[in-house]
Amino acid sequence: METQTNQDKNILELATFYIGDALCGMDILKVQEINKLMEMTKVPQAPDYVDGILNLRGQIVTIVDLGKKLGLGETDLGDDPRNIIVNAPGEHIGLLVRRISDVVMADPDRIESAPANMSGIQGTFFTGVYKTENKLIGILNVEEVLKIEKESHRHGRAGNFDN
Amino acid sequence: MSIEDDEILQGFIEESLEHLADIENDLLAIEEGGADIDVDLVNKVFRAAHSIKGGAGFMGLTVIQNLAHAAENVLGLIRSEKLVPDPDIVNVLLLASDELQQLIEDVENSNDVDITEHVEALNTIYEGGNAPQKPSDQQEEKKEAPAEPEPPAMEAESTPIAEEQEPPKAVAEPAAESTPEPVVEQTPEPTPEPAPTTTAAPAAVSSPDVKPAAKKPAKKAKSSTHKTDTSIRVTVSLLDQLMNLAGELVLSRNQLLQTITSGDVRNAEAVGQRIDLVTSELQEAIMLTRMQPIGNVFNKFPRVVRDLSKKLSKQMDLTIVGKDVELDKTIIESINDPLTHLVRNSVDHGVESPDERARKGKNPKGLIVLKAYHAAGQVVIEISDDGKGLDGNILAETAINKGLITPEQAKAMSDKERINLILLPGFSTAKKVTDVSGRGVGMDVVKTNLDQLGGSIEIESEIGKGSTISIKLPLTLAIIPCQIVMTGGERYAIPQVNLEELLRIPAAKVKERVERVGNAEVVRLRGNLLPLIRLSDVLDIPRTYYDPTSDEVNPDRRRVVADRRSKSSPLSAGQAPEERSKEQAETPTCKREDKDRRQSPASALNIVVVSTGSMKYGLIVDRLQDSEEIVIKPLGRHLQQCKGYAGATIMGDGRIALILDVSNLSRMAGLTSLDGTERANELAEAAKDAIIKAKDKQALLTFSSSPNEQFAVPLNQVERVEKIKHSDIEEVGGRRVMQYRGGSLPLLAIDEVAMVQPLADQDDLLVIVFNLAGKDIGLLAIGPIDAIEIAADIDDVTLKQTGIMGSAIINGHTTMLVDIFEIVQTINPEWFADHAISETVAEEGEAPTILIVEDSNFFRNQVRGYMEEAGFNVLEGEDGVEALQVLEDHLDEITMVVTDIEMPNMNGFEMTEKIRRDSRFAHLPVIALTTLAGDEDVAKGKAVGIDEYHIKLDKERLMECVHRYVKEAETV
Repeated sequence: METQTNQDKNILELATFYIGDALCGMDILKVQEINKLMEMTKVPQAPDYVDGILNLRGQIVTIVDLGKKLGLGETDLGDDPRNIIVNAPGEHIGLLVRRISDVVMADPDRIESAPANMSGIQGTFFTGVYKTENKLIGILNVEEVLKIEKESHRHGRAGNFDN
Repeated sequence: MSIEDDEILQGFIEESLEHLADIENDLLAIEEGGADIDVDLVNKVFRAAHSIKGGAGFMGLTVIQNLAHAAENVLGLIRSEKLVPDPDIVNVLLLASDELQQLIEDVENSNDVDITEHVEALNTIYEGGNAPQKPSDQQEEKKEAPAEPEPPAMEAESTPIAEEQEPPKAVAEPAAESTPEPVVEQTPEPTPEPAPTTTAAPAAVSSPDVKPAAKKPAKKAKSSTHKTDTSIRVTVSLLDQLMNLAGELVLSRNQLLQTITSGDVRNAEAVGQRIDLVTSELQEAIMLTRMQPIGNVFNKFPRVVRDLSKKLSKQMDLTIVGKDVELDKTIIESINDPLTHLVRNSVDHGVESPDERARKGKNPKGLIVLKAYHAAGQVVIEISDDGKGLDGNILAETAINKGLITPEQAKAMSDKERINLILLPGFSTAKKVTDVSGRGVGMDVVKTNLDQLGGSIEIESEIGKGSTISIKLPLTLAIIPCQIVMTGGERYAIPQVNLEELLRIPAAKVKERVERVGNAEVVRLRGNLLPLIRLSDVLDIPRTYYDPTSDEVNPDRRRVVADRRSKSSPLSAGQAPEERSKEQAETPTCKREDKDRRQSPASALNIVVVSTGSMKYGLIVDRLQDSEEIVIKPLGRHLQQCKGYAGATIMGDGRIALILDVSNLSRMAGLTSLDGTERANELAEAAKDAIIKAKDKQALLTFSSSPNEQFAVPLNQVERVEKIKHSDIEEVGGRRVMQYRGGSLPLLAIDEVAMVQPLADQDDLLVIVFNLAGKDIGLLAIGPIDAIEIAADIDDVTLKQTGIMGSAIINGHTTMLVDIFEIVQTINPEWFADHAISETVAEEGEAPTILIVEDSNFFRNQVRGYMEEAGFNVLEGEDGVEALQVLEDHLDEITMVVTDIEMPNMNGFEMTEKIRRDSRFAHLPVIALTTLAGDEDVAKGKAVGIDEYHIKLDKERLMECVHRYVKEAETV
């Protein structure tokens, strides 16, 4: 009985999705909604990982291409892409992923620390790795992903001057 | 500290802050009253302190409670008239209320703050019935002493004054004894030995070395103000109204849903209208909740002025007018800093010291007036002082020395322009930096702040008499009218405040009007050269052009606007012309696509002329769309680095458009104000001949009202042209109106006044919007419309009638020139009632005589007509030579000269120069009338002594100006 409640309390529900070929997940409580609105407005001069902005019921939502952000290249829009809308301080941000997958119940005890590199993605973007019987799910560190990167900013600017 | 209920605490904070805001001004009033105590006022302050004390006691905020208690004690003495509130006592009270404010703003940490100093000072007054002898010391350090584990204030209170006043060095000695290093005495860290240093602690902390540290808490308090200031008081009636409207909206939604299910199209229209109405009302009501009286900002200035003038040993009064004027909350918040800066400036630099004032024969007490009022849909805030004023020449000199302008530019500037140089970035005139207003924040920062708010600033000043700074602000920032443009397939919004005009250069004219100088492109616009920026280049997106015939957006590969293939490149000789672009080098065989774009409408240039305070430039976009009212939404964190946008908005179709920040765009394009003007100057010099040729042409807007008659109005009178449908016109109260920018625009047609054919009965109509006597009015018309420039050859006899001033042949058609003033005056005579009054004033005495100098019969008669109608006597001259003769003959009669510039024999500039040089005429005001007032012309005119420039046929402004000068002449 006691173990049951204990488990209930600690079980982590992961919303999983594909970034490139990597299966990633994040705590479902951090997800506000998942949609497939793709009518984005391009923002010239934005950092290159920003795909555009979206009107989400009157709110302006910045869409971050997770593929680009994590260094896997542009997300392929052909394969049923979705925006995962997450809460960030003061705004909502959409994470563009190639495809979404199931919700996985994860036992926190079986979450291992992230390796330095996973499927070509830097380990710092993950809080841990969850192993199921046949899959490996990287648990995304949303805060790290949403952090504003000074590097890529300078990169984008330098690109502009080339023209 | 036990905070049991956040809500109660929040309530306490708000209430206390409100009390404190009142206390400050009331204390100042008490100070002014001196021995003549206003018991009601003192009672009010007493009660406020008492409520704070009570609340704080209840919440367990002992420190606040103690301080409030001490203040209450002193106030009690004043109330019972046992104590006369001299400035020193009031000072102590004010400092205590400052401290209270800080404590309350940071309520969570308030119990750890040391307030001994304040309590001591207050208690000394209370016990001795006297202020401490060195209040100025305390004034300087409004600091929070570090939390020190020392015995409570009680011990300090009992210390005699003499001891407290001991120099810090002496007091620090015990500390030095206890710790070998003397440095320790100044470190505000808790010392283990409490006993000997108890009294020393406050003194040691207040030693000058710690001052920088003392500034920190102040800053912290400021940031916490923003945190706590998140609630707003709204009247219940307004809330009721909002609730009502929300109810209406729900009902309308239900109706809409029903209509959709039943598919009833006719009903849908009615429902749509209803929703339209309810939402606009809702919008207005919600706006009202955000409106706050400007008094919230103004109220702190009596204190600011008092403290400052005391510090600078000046005397001044502050008069505040228009506290009730309301502005949007966000504007109120952000106007605070610029206003404070300006007021401080006035106190510090504007008003002279009492001795100096006495020497100049002024009242030793200076006067600063802070005034707010509504004007033309904006709020104007004026800060005026009767101080020494600004010297334009000194400002110009400084600007030249700092390399901000060239001496030539300075020479061409009017006094007002020189004074406004102070707003240039990098300008500060204060000879020495004082801690009062010369704190490294120049007027340019004030200007930038105001620019960000969509406001503007203007300075007027007279040496020795004082200066007036006027700030114009929009009522709200949340919803703004914007021009929508398209580039690269995306829409962008440009705020209307930045918009000067829209310019479309037809394909055939591009080569003639657009030039290349260095690597910049410029367009010739009414004799001035305007730098051009391509929106796609600044944003670094591929260039495109819009082809209206196929409704497509295609990539554009020309590098330079002025590139037309007339100078055919050797490569293209004998075969289909090719693009002379970069791509050409890479793919030299690339043939031009099927159609030649040279003369097609797709090659026309769409330019949005925008101004950003200091400069004006043209933004090239693919397409121009409508103007719309938009709601500004902020962009996310990840996009903050994109400086070119002020935000985003959601369009009617649900998609997003970015709002452009035109001043940052110009910066991104490397177009600084100075470069812009310099470049324009060079170009102007080079192109002068061409410009002179273009002079004395009248810019007209031609249109029709019926298929067979063509009309024209002077282009500069036209505000806008709107395309409307016949169904947009509403017949209300016997008048035709249409909805326009949230109001009703009265509409009229020429045939209502003049004997012309009636307005064509068709669905597509045009409304030409004019602004007369401060009101908008629309003239109904039909196309085709065109803007043309013609030489002024106007027949003012043949077709003259009410509402028609004359006729001219334009493009082979006889075109009637519409006199919009006469039309409006005939229909709405009451609009000009104000002017009529000033006219009668002029008529009372001997009617003044005005000399009109003009070579064109038409314009001379026109202006003569205006003048005679207003009751002036008129003398005429056809050119400068003749005019000077008339002046000789009628030396004593003439009070003013109104002259054209371009005239045979002697032009207006030469004539003015002669008039100014002759001592008999030098005092006469000279008003110049021109068709095209180019900036450098205006400057030249000013240089030779022309008082004012007006545009021909702009009757309203001309007459207003004439009346003004006549009045001035009379008073002299």
